[in-house]
Amino acid sequence: MSTVLETTTLLAQVGMGRIQGGWEYIWAAYGIAWASLSLYALSLWIRRPIKASRDTKE
Amino acid sequence: MRRSRPISLLKAVVVLLGKDLLIEWRTRARLNALIFFSLATLLLFSFAVGPDTKLLARNAGGYLWLALLFASVLALGESFRVEQENLTLDGLRMAPADARAIFLSKALGNTVLLVGLGALLIPVMIALYGVKVTLGAGPMLGILALGCMAVAAPGTVYSAIANNARARDVLLPLMLFPLIIPALLAAAKATTLVLQGDPMNQLGSWSGLLIGFNLIYWGLGFVLFPRVIED
Amino acid sequence: MSGLMNAVLQYGSAAAALVVVGLGIRLGRKWAPVDSQMDARPMLVGMSVAALVLLAVGGWLGLVWSPQDREMGDVYRIIYVHVPAMWMAMLTLVLNFACCVSYLLKANWKTDALAEASAEVGLLFGGFGLVLGAIWGRPTWGVYWDWDPRLTAMAIMLVTYTAYMALRRFVEDPDKRAVWSSVVGIISFANLPIVWFSVKWWRSLHQVQSTPKTVDPEMALSLRVNAWAFLILLTLFLLHRYRIALATREAEVALPDALPPDAPASRDGNSTEVA
Repeated sequence: MSTVLETTTLLAQVGMGRIQGGWEYIWAAYGIAWASLSLYALSLWIRRPIKASRDTKE
Repeated sequence: MRRSRPISLLKAVVVLLGKDLLIEWRTRARLNALIFFSLATLLLFSFAVGPDTKLLARNAGGYLWLALLFASVLALGESFRVEQENLTLDGLRMAPADARAIFLSKALGNTVLLVGLGALLIPVMIALYGVKVTLGAGPMLGILALGCMAVAAPGTVYSAIANNARARDVLLPLMLFPLIIPALLAAAKATTLVLQGDPMNQLGSWSGLLIGFNLIYWGLGFVLFPRVIED
Repeated sequence: MSGLMNAVLQYGSAAAALVVVGLGIRLGRKWAPVDSQMDARPMLVGMSVAALVLLAVGGWLGLVWSPQDREMGDVYRIIYVHVPAMWMAMLTLVLNFACCVSYLLKANWKTDALAEASAEVGLLFGGFGLVLGAIWGRPTWGVYWDWDPRLTAMAIMLVTYTAYMALRRFVEDPDKRAVWSSVVGIISFANLPIVWFSVKWWRSLHQVQSTPKTVDPEMALSLRVNAWAFLILLTLFLLHRYRIALATREAEVALPDALPPDAPASRDGNSTEVA
């Protein structure tokens, strides 16, 4: 009996302790990740070697 | 890369170390400047923190090692510049001495220099920050020696590299500081324990970390240094 | 979502990633060298599409599909990008170390170029992974930087490898740059275990940071798909950066003293944002 009660109280406490919201942090994190990946891809594109002497088709 | 070795490694190290220490002694003015620079650093910490003696005493170990670290960059940067001025490194390379002897002698020379500097700084630190050495002089000197060796071994390799690169004055601390963070951490912690007593027996693990760091970097330096100065 | 869908995602993403890694190695051999005549466009497009699709699926799984964590609520969703980024950073550091050792044993331009590529790409993943870790710290621990041992050790390693890249930039002679940076790479990598133990002990004197380890199967799936997506991206980045490094080397060797001050200048500006 008492164990059931204790378990429910414990669960309730855990439920209360859950962090609410925080989506702005999530979006900031995903945004930074995607932005840095795309910026790096862009920098690779800018630095791509151009075969001036041999390659004529570009 | 292995040359014939008419003189033994040990003998070469001793000869080269004697030569470096002699140069160091003959250019005493530079040595004095180094000493006063590190004393000034020690003094500056107390100004930066303010006249809170408790705080200064608690952080004394960290300040001592930071002062030594700043001084070490100047000392290490100089250790190969001396050779470069008259292109004597080429002479050393052509001498029938093992390149690894150059590493050992330079690193030992830097260790001696830093330990000497530390031995001068410790009394000043005791007076300036109002600390007392609870565990005695023996452990204090042991930690000093281990910490200085930990700075000197990678410092010697990096100094030889940075000396020939552009922006060498920036490059040496940039490469060295992050590398020796663990050694600095261990040395500062161990020094604090030596100063304030060690009720929880943590000194052993920090000294162990320093010894491990030394073993790894003296070993790596010994193996890799010949590749650094080869042509 | 049904079990079938689950299995398809799990094995599909793994298979796609492994195929891309295989293709990446092949292209690195055949297409990346300067004198290559190979037309790699279809393969490259395919690999990029695979990366984007998996990244989108991973993002959806992480942001929408995965349930809330019992304690962390929604905030824990950051780990779906943070943890894979850190894994990739570790992977590139190991790759860099292997290249450095291999170069000292047998000098080869390709090894040197791969070492350069892996260090730079590793800095990218480690860098934003670290920022994500700091963002994660704010809602969970209340501060951006809590001196968590793992994050601190990673930060120290990142500074170490920034110095490695700086050294590469500051030495003009390609031979010396390769040898010296290999030495520095080996020395830096050897520091990893020491940094880890020192930071851990240093922290344990204050408090022991307990990170709750409650991984549901759904969370594991999201994490896996994201990790495979990142592995594909890593392969693509390494491949392209490796090709750039090879081309730069070719230019340096082809023009021994015609334009030494100009040739490195084109690279100088671009890779700084990573640090």
